[in-house]
Amino acid sequence: MHKGAVIGLSVFTMVLAGCGNDPAPKPVEQIVVREPGEAAKPESTSEVGVKDPAAAGVAAFATCSSCHVAEEGAASMAGPNLYGVVGRKAGSLDDFAYSDALVNSGITWTEAELDAFIADPAGKVPGTLMAAGAMPDAETRAAIVAYLRSLSE
Amino acid sequence: MNDQTPLQKNERSRLAKWSRRGFIGAGVLAGGGLLIGVGVRPGNPISDLAPKVAGGEGEQLINSWVKIGADNIVTAIVPHCEMGQGAHSVLGQMLADELDAAWDKVRVMQAPADGSYVVSDTARLFAAPFTMNAADWIEPTWNGLFTQIARFADVMITGGSSSIRSTGQRSMRVAGAAARKMLVGAAAEEWGVAPDEIETRDSTLIHTASGKSAPYSEFASAAAEQPMDQTPVLKKASEYRLMGKSKARTDIPSKVDGSAEFGIDSQPEGLELSYTAVVRPPVPGTTVTKMDAARAKDMPGVLQILNMGEFVAVVAESYWQAQQALNTIGIEWSKSESPVKTMDDQYAVFAKALDGAGATGGSEAAARGDANNALGNATKTLEAEYKVPYLAHAPMEPMNCTASYKDGKCDIWTSTQVPLIARTQVAGQLGMSKDDVIIHQPFLGGAFGRRLGAEYVAMAARVAKATGYPVKMIWSREEDTQKALYRNADTCRMRGGVDGAGKLIAFDSAFTQRHDPAEACVPAMYDIPNTAIRVAEADLHLPFQAWRSVDHSVQGFFIESFIDEAAEAAGKDPVEFRLAMLGKSPRHKAVLKKAAEIAKWGEETGEGTAKGVAIVESFGTIVAEVVEVDLTSGRPRLTNVWAACDAGYVMNPDGFRNQIEGGIVFGLTAAMYGELELKDGAIVQSNFHDYKMLRMDETPDIEVAIIDSGDVPVGGAGEPGLPPAAPALANAIFAATGKRLRQLPIAKQFA
Repeated sequence: MHKGAVIGLSVFTMVLAGCGNDPAPKPVEQIVVREPGEAAKPESTSEVGVKDPAAAGVAAFATCSSCHVAEEGAASMAGPNLYGVVGRKAGSLDDFAYSDALVNSGITWTEAELDAFIADPAGKVPGTLMAAGAMPDAETRAAIVAYLRSLSE
Repeated sequence: MNDQTPLQKNERSRLAKWSRRGFIGAGVLAGGGLLIGVGVRPGNPISDLAPKVAGGEGEQLINSWVKIGADNIVTAIVPHCEMGQGAHSVLGQMLADELDAAWDKVRVMQAPADGSYVVSDTARLFAAPFTMNAADWIEPTWNGLFTQIARFADVMITGGSSSIRSTGQRSMRVAGAAARKMLVGAAAEEWGVAPDEIETRDSTLIHTASGKSAPYSEFASAAAEQPMDQTPVLKKASEYRLMGKSKARTDIPSKVDGSAEFGIDSQPEGLELSYTAVVRPPVPGTTVTKMDAARAKDMPGVLQILNMGEFVAVVAESYWQAQQALNTIGIEWSKSESPVKTMDDQYAVFAKALDGAGATGGSEAAARGDANNALGNATKTLEAEYKVPYLAHAPMEPMNCTASYKDGKCDIWTSTQVPLIARTQVAGQLGMSKDDVIIHQPFLGGAFGRRLGAEYVAMAARVAKATGYPVKMIWSREEDTQKALYRNADTCRMRGGVDGAGKLIAFDSAFTQRHDPAEACVPAMYDIPNTAIRVAEADLHLPFQAWRSVDHSVQGFFIESFIDEAAEAAGKDPVEFRLAMLGKSPRHKAVLKKAAEIAKWGEETGEGTAKGVAIVESFGTIVAEVVEVDLTSGRPRLTNVWAACDAGYVMNPDGFRNQIEGGIVFGLTAAMYGELELKDGAIVQSNFHDYKMLRMDETPDIEVAIIDSGDVPVGGAGEPGLPPAAPALANAIFAATGKRLRQLPIAKQFA
């Protein structure tokens, strides 16, 4: 058999796999709240979920995890490892090159200090390298701080 | 399929044809000047095409692939998608060069997805390379035949690092040269001079003797009436004005100023969009058995909730509302019949297949000599088992599709590598004619093979039809990480035999997955007298999709790790050991030497720092890489990568370097971090915090050296940088630590 044809076959198998299937079944179940063109009903006032604080903290930290890890012994990434940060002196990890501003800030990370810093990093410590990640939402901040605290006990 | 007859003279070609035959067949002949063209459509169907692609004021279509405006702007009509790889721009560059167009007056447009712009040359390159150098008189026949085949099979595909080497070489250049000849012919008639006295330069026709000159636009409509040469003589490399130069990409300005429109940006005029969030089964192949949407239906903005069998969808006024409502829906799924619940189970499936194949079984992918017998006669033998995990494509732009179904017609706006396959699937699943499905193609925010699958397109179309709302469906990142299509996992068992002189005389490889390209598993460049390549097929738990460089991403790691182990067993330097086996592969030898030279291979490195090497030919391009790694902290830090590449001829050196660098970073990311784990048959990883990318601060300095070896077919750029990265890194770690890593990913093995 010709080798070129073999290579070709695999390309065409992929291609043909998409062809000629029967129409897909209609929805098994369809809940219509509003048909297209229908006017909106008054705004619903139902409660949206009750949050589990621990789970909320893990979820909230996902925002931070693009720059920070929070695992024992893990290397710092674009930001320092936050495992055990509550109670730690600011700018004290060996494997992270902090800004002078943070090293000289004299801060020891209490929950209140962390909350203030996350709310506005550059406002709290002018000159910090933490250029992104300010979290204006107090509830989310509380969840993040609670999560970090749970890793510092 | 490989005959076993000992045939001394042809031994090399029996293996080499796997990787080369198709591309040599497609080739540029000696001197680079004569490339038989197949790129223009038989006849000149511009009257059919013009309404679709040249409807603008003052626009004249010259042939299928090029139009000229009254303002003398030349527009190349490109049948491949733009996903960041720069295909649009470089294909425009190739057409414009043959046309002698001024680069600042060149634009590129995406060809419509309606079957008139199938990439017949890509189909032909892969399916029947033996027809590629047909005589002139038979060319229109072959060309017409492959256009029919391509159209039937929906071949409008961007993949296989093929845009430049198939469509660029065989359509865009030919179309540019043919259009130039038509413009010259029209001017010659009007001016009453011989065509060969007319020069073309910077989108201008010039007759020096009479002092006449005219912009192309002046003769555009007359040119379209001229006969079209299907096999125009193309330029020699020495005549190139744009090819071979790092011309600025046409798509970059819009990406810098934010005006570029990606699939997810689609806001079609006149449509008031609703938004759809979807959830698919956590374990492949299962379906919805129960849906509890009591809470979701009362949530703000929710319009409709659908149980579609294989997925659940919420349509709402905004994406956020749709996703929040979806998160509250309780769904029960059917039980999976797959025996695989964890990665250990998947590797056990592979092991069982490999055990079954034993030392000589499985289906033979390639063979030379008698590997099993030679192993028995070797002075020293070695064995190793390698494993690679499943990987996600993780393109930055989430999966999305905007669909509108109205009056029996369906309009689709989506990022896709396969617009015609998407069209066929939508038509099939909605039970309508393909002609009633219109696919609009914005830019792709990355794809890497993910968008060769079009399952998400039909999902959006079904929701639009069922609800009557025009919808933009967006998958959450978690949805695409956990419920998509994947690079396969695999296990490979290798055995090698070294003779008394330290020469590798036997190579035996058995693995379970062989997808594409067929030659990826064959180390054809190396002169190993006894080679056996065997496939012991095993089932995958997760659905497969080609992932940047496909089988090469797996086989590159297997083969080049093992070659390094063989060098160690032979007591040879890894570069010297490879060079000694490349006697019949002069291009590969030159590439490896170049990489070693720029990496200063053999010179002292700092304490705890070491270099590793690997070389892989893929998609017609040979790439050798040296990776330097620093282990002084106890964890691998990537400091430098040096890459040498031979793609035959590089059309845009800056674009080529970008692609090689991107391939290296993509390959190192996978090697360091890439892994999907399974729990109860479902993927554990969900987003970029646990499916990590290599960060800027972890990315090594990369130097890329380009070798233009001239009279050979042009190779690809998008994928070939990737395959050597993982083995070169693992080999560097071995050089630094003496620890041989036979399983990916690497970072967690140092945690």
